[in-house]
Amino acid sequence: MDYTNQKQPQNYSQMEDLKTLDLEESVSETIMRDLRMIAYKLKYVLIPKEQEDNGKELRNWDLWGPLIFCLALAMTLSFKADSTTSSSKSDVFAIIFVLIWVGAFVVTLNAQLLGGKVSFFQSVCLLGYCVFPINIEALIIAFIGSYLPFVVKLIPVIICFAWSAYSSVGFMASLVPPHKKKLAVYPVFLFYLFLSWFSLIV
Amino acid sequence: MEIGVQKQTDDEKQVQPGQFNKLNDSGDKKQTGYCGFLTVEYYTPYFNVTENDVIQRVKATFLPFRPDFLNITKDNPDLWGPIWINATLIFMITAIANLRQVDSEKENQSFDVGYVPQATALLYIIAFGTPVILAVVMKVLGVDLSFFQTICLYGYSMSTLLPITILCYFQNELFLWLIIAYGVGNSILFLIFNLKEELDKLQIQKKYIIIAIVVTMQLSLYLFYKLVFFSYVSEGIVETTNTSASSEPKEPAN
Repeated sequence: MDYTNQKQPQNYSQMEDLKTLDLEESVSETIMRDLRMIAYKLKYVLIPKEQEDNGKELRNWDLWGPLIFCLALAMTLSFKADSTTSSSKSDVFAIIFVLIWVGAFVVTLNAQLLGGKVSFFQSVCLLGYCVFPINIEALIIAFIGSYLPFVVKLIPVIICFAWSAYSSVGFMASLVPPHKKKLAVYPVFLFYLFLSWFSLIV
Repeated sequence: MEIGVQKQTDDEKQVQPGQFNKLNDSGDKKQTGYCGFLTVEYYTPYFNVTENDVIQRVKATFLPFRPDFLNITKDNPDLWGPIWINATLIFMITAIANLRQVDSEKENQSFDVGYVPQATALLYIIAFGTPVILAVVMKVLGVDLSFFQTICLYGYSMSTLLPITILCYFQNELFLWLIIAYGVGNSILFLIFNLKEELDKLQIQKKYIIIAIVVTMQLSLYLFYKLVFFSYVSEGIVETTNTSASSEPKEPAN
């Protein structure tokens, strides 16, 4: 890693030299650094133009981002659930949470079983970051969904779903041999479809 | 599975052999010992299909009397189909059940998401549990049953439920019972036909035990399917009359 440039460290391995300073800095600085890293990775994953190096940045995986987005989605949907559904809040929260983590696990395992050589957590990290557009649509629908007819609600849902799917499919498809691409991509598609459906329904 | 410390970047990890590879030095599966089935490499040979293969196999399940499925999967049973057909089914059950709810209640859209855990448990237990039971019973009766072939068979037999689920959207009772009956018939025939080879090695009475197990499981699957949908619709109708009559504080009086 290049320590000579003045750029702020973007991953933990660059920060080894600075570890001794961690205890002396303020809490807000530590938190902001983590948040900035999550934001950087988010931009990297979701905005295709930022990816110049073919996904190498993803090797510095972290699970904070996915956890934050998963919790945000589960909380948004379970708050909304109280007023309109017959299942309880905790049911919805539990289903979403389990769905995201078990889903990411199974989709990654599927890619590995099809012969893809990818680090397990790298792929879970990517899938977790790509949940962010689903978060956006869940928030949109939570706030203004009750004023819109069903069909109009579909528009942001479809856009965000397409955005999530498109961002992660590129990475997933590159992992497996070419004749099995669709087999690796279909589960990703199903995963985001399921999550989008929940954000539409609840 | 890697439990990585973030200090070690993934570059280094990919260079070092992972935990599993230490057991698999010569590349021979058998050297992994008793815990071989817990590694990823153990299952990789069962994912040796392309999307066209999968589509062909699914098509073959709808024509139970032709030996197509048997011929295709004899040498190459796959696990991709069973896992993801069931996952697709879970999604479709949730989606179609919710779409039915859109029709019946106009004002207060109340969607039930409780189908997900129920459907997951039901489908995966039947799709993976029944082959286990069959394998055990066949072993007891003295015939060897290819375990992965049976899982493959069961998983693909679930694909009969795909069009049935979509058709369950319609509210007509008679129609629903008809398509459920078709599904039961098709899948039982498909399973029995494909198990025929192994069944023929047994004596007549013992054959019926196996056939009985297969039929029972399929019937219970389809009945559960129908009753989950059916009980929903009738509750929906009852609910709208109840909610308009009762004085719940949240809802505006009609």
